[in-house]
Amino acid sequence: MRRWLIALSASLPLCAQLAPPVASYDIRASLDAQKHTITGEQTLTWVNDSPDTVPTLQFHLYMNAFRNSRSTFFRESGGQLRGDRAAEDGWGWIQVNSMKLEDGTDLTPRIRCISPDDGNPDDCTVIEVPLSEPVRPGAALRVSMRFTTQLPKVFARTGYRGDFHLAGQWFPKIGVWETKGFRYAEKSGWNCHQFHANSEFYSNYGDYRVELTVPSRFVVGATGELVKRTDDAQRGTSTYWFAQPSVTDFAWTAQPGFLRVERMFEARKQTTPEELASAARLHGISLEDARLSDVKMIALIQPEHAEQTERHFQALATALKYFGLWYGRYPYRTITVVDPPHGAGGAGGMEYPTFITAGTSYRLPRDVLTLELVTVHEFGHQFWMQLVASNEFEESWLDEGFNTYSTGKIVDKVYGGTSLPLTVFGSNLWSWLRLPKLTQASMDRAAHVGTPVRDPLATRAWEFYDSSSYSINSYSRTGVALRTLEALLGEDTMARVMRAYHQRWRFRHPHSRDFQQVVQEVSGRDLDWFFSQFVFGSRKLDYAVSEIRNRRLDTPVGVFEKGGGKQTVTAKEARRRDEEREKRGEKPQYESWVKVERLGDAIAPQEIEIRFRDGHIERRAWDGQGRWAKFTFTRAAEIESATIDPQRRYALDVNLANNSRKADYNTALSTQWSVRLLFWAQNTMLWLTALV
Amino acid sequence: MLPLIAYWSGLGRAWRRKRMLALYWFFHTLCAAAAALPLMAVAVPQLGRSRLGDELMRQFDLAWLAEIASAAGAAAPAVVFAILAASAVLLLGAVFLAAGAVPLLAEEGALYSPETFWRGAGRNFWPFLRLALYSFIPYGAAFAIAGLLRRGAQALWGEGLAARPLVLADYARMALLIVLFGLISTAMDFAKVRLALSGSRQSLRACFASLRLVWRNPGVVFWLWACFAATGAALAWAYVELAVRLEGGGAALVVVLVLLQQAYVLARIVLRFAAWGAAAELDPILRPLPAPEPTPAPVPVHDYQI
Ligand SMILES: [Zn+2]
Repeated sequence: MRRWLIALSASLPLCAQLAPPVASYDIRASLDAQKHTITGEQTLTWVNDSPDTVPTLQFHLYMNAFRNSRSTFFRESGGQLRGDRAAEDGWGWIQVNSMKLEDGTDLTPRIRCISPDDGNPDDCTVIEVPLSEPVRPGAALRVSMRFTTQLPKVFARTGYRGDFHLAGQWFPKIGVWETKGFRYAEKSGWNCHQFHANSEFYSNYGDYRVELTVPSRFVVGATGELVKRTDDAQRGTSTYWFAQPSVTDFAWTAQPGFLRVERMFEARKQTTPEELASAARLHGISLEDARLSDVKMIALIQPEHAEQTERHFQALATALKYFGLWYGRYPYRTITVVDPPHGAGGAGGMEYPTFITAGTSYRLPRDVLTLELVTVHEFGHQFWMQLVASNEFEESWLDEGFNTYSTGKIVDKVYGGTSLPLTVFGSNLWSWLRLPKLTQASMDRAAHVGTPVRDPLATRAWEFYDSSSYSINSYSRTGVALRTLEALLGEDTMARVMRAYHQRWRFRHPHSRDFQQVVQEVSGRDLDWFFSQFVFGSRKLDYAVSEIRNRRLDTPVGVFEKGGGKQTVTAKEARRRDEEREKRGEKPQYESWVKVERLGDAIAPQEIEIRFRDGHIERRAWDGQGRWAKFTFTRAAEIESATIDPQRRYALDVNLANNSRKADYNTALSTQWSVRLLFWAQNTMLWLTALV
Repeated sequence: MLPLIAYWSGLGRAWRRKRMLALYWFFHTLCAAAAALPLMAVAVPQLGRSRLGDELMRQFDLAWLAEIASAAGAAAPAVVFAILAASAVLLLGAVFLAAGAVPLLAEEGALYSPETFWRGAGRNFWPFLRLALYSFIPYGAAFAIAGLLRRGAQALWGEGLAARPLVLADYARMALLIVLFGLISTAMDFAKVRLALSGSRQSLRACFASLRLVWRNPGVVFWLWACFAATGAALAWAYVELAVRLEGGGAALVVVLVLLQQAYVLARIVLRFAAWGAAAELDPILRPLPAPEPTPAPVPVHDYQI
């Protein structure tokens, strides 16, 4: 190990460790801002926390995803991701120049690229290094490496644009050794996936001490706390020391133009005693355990977004508060939010430990909440990804989806809904037109409903039908599924489930079955039918009320046995008897029935609510198994309407309009709709003919 | 002053042609209904039966739109076809009706009769249709200019880290495009008047002559267009402000809302007619009338003998 690294480790105090370190890094790196390259030296201290003897090492070299168009990332994304295109001249790569063990053994010649996921011989985002001496259980291994990273021009997540630099996934990062039986491991081995178009996070916890040297004019932000800064006036460079224990990754940014603003999240001011008491009561914890801690919020803002600085802080504070109250306090002392500049949107909306990138636009209207949404969402990954470190490669729904659910709840609660940008010369017409605010719940449901159900939620990120199926399932559909679960369990139980899951798996690596286990434990219910159909299966849920019939029970006509003889009732006679009954003020009886249908392949227990014209309401349960069911009633009033799932618990149902049916067609309503549609058509036509 | 005089005169001329207004309204409504019908067939029956219908009337729901879209996926080609077909009929029909209406708006003293109207429509249809096609040239040029501006802005500031200059350039580009479209559209109104009054069939010449006229009198034409644009914007504003107060009311308010909607549509048609009337008012002022074409009828000799 190099002497300076020992010195660095000694000189940088770390705040209390929260998780036993498995993969810790001491990194010294400098940025060449002209070439956009990073030259680095790092010492990795890796602890074999498994009962296995480990014969090899595997590392992620994520940056090689941007090396050429034959990488797996490029093949999957087509050089296009989240609306951004790769630049012709903006390739990125990482080169490991040397790799040595503490005893001086040179591992460099043994490095070879492997592609465990797709066997792509042209991909080099994972390397393997055989060791001469395997690592024994419990032993620690120190590996020193020198590397050079060429940042790509930003189009997906990481890179540079002009003098803006966002270094994410920039250093050789060791994979996760999984012993047999851990998560899905059938045999012991490295879990070290290639860099795919979608998904990228799965790492062990460790302590990071990073020394970054950049030209002095740059403003720098990074994971963790800034411990000190020194300036070298001669070289015109500055060196920043950052330290953070118990995290899974380290990212940083540098740009001369950043406005750096700090605010304190003061837990006492942000939460009321009632809120704390209510959280403590709900979760059966002490007030002390419910309490949040103070956090330094750091924002690196583009000058042209200066007027939106407070919006960043408000969103961060909102997220710190609710994630903290709901799932447990944020345990780190800082959170840094980066606002990427124009044209570097690809680097926006990213999450790294204690360090996130958001994204906004010039003069973003106040009622368009994209800034708040992305900030709360990326912060949310501190809880779903960083603190509960599930495997995003294999089960993206556990982090993106859980985060979509949590973010949606917070944003809908605090901000209501968002307007969409319908801007003309910078002013938004959405509110003026009185268009309603859109909630996250409705936007998620729209995405779910509008996309065919093709994959289970729990699918490996690169094995979805296509990129759209990946994103709908990993984000929106999971949000809808968790909302459905919430409706089935009740809001309080769901809140306890989420906190219990978070607390049990904080600083650990759960998988989908672990979540199911917690759900069943906390709720005391067997929910295998839910998980097998909607998480591990891809069933489509659609129930409908298909028919309502009302028939008046008039006096029957024909030949009837009466007093040992036969009596004939003619139609005329029957009519007379009916009229007499009516005169006496007797209400006619009706035989009515409702038919409900299962249109999808998912089966779920249902409740049916039947309303009669006299205001009476009947409820029936249906196990939902058959393709249809019929419910018959004989009452003195006709059925007015019937609704399946009247409480709308199943947000997963792909068609809610057919969940209810009225006996009478609502002509007035459909006329109103038609008139409205006609008016808009007339206006569109007038715009068209204005041209001729 | 001149633009205002023409504006008022245009409005007056339009207002006097109520039967033509009604006809134009009827035709637009017919085409709108044809385009909207398949959409209604997809969206409305579901709601007429569903309890969700009332809810959605009050609160528009994105998820419901997605439900319709996915439920009606198979009907989408038919819906698109119906909309395209209705639009094509609309465009041809609108040219035909304009061909009948413009001469009557242009000649102030002309007496309206159905025969005059239809005769005008028949006579001017082809020249007007050709004019509509030729108008793609200036509209296309306006787009091209705007595209060049966008490219220029990209070249200047596209690589920068600030969106501000690009956004401001975009505002400027949009403003220019709107004004150019307004001026071209007004020029085409002049061209129609010119074609209708002269009985000429030379659409291309009329098109460019009118563009030249606008080029020579940019101030007058701009302010005339601005008057109409401002009226249109004010109408839209008034409509939205009134409509939101009527939404969600009882049956009586719904009827009022429907009347208001149709009044708004009619007002837009009045503006369209008024623009033609105003062009007719300005045309002789801005354009010295060309020497009358040699009349084929010889002047009777005896007139000179008196
Ligand atoms: Zn995310």
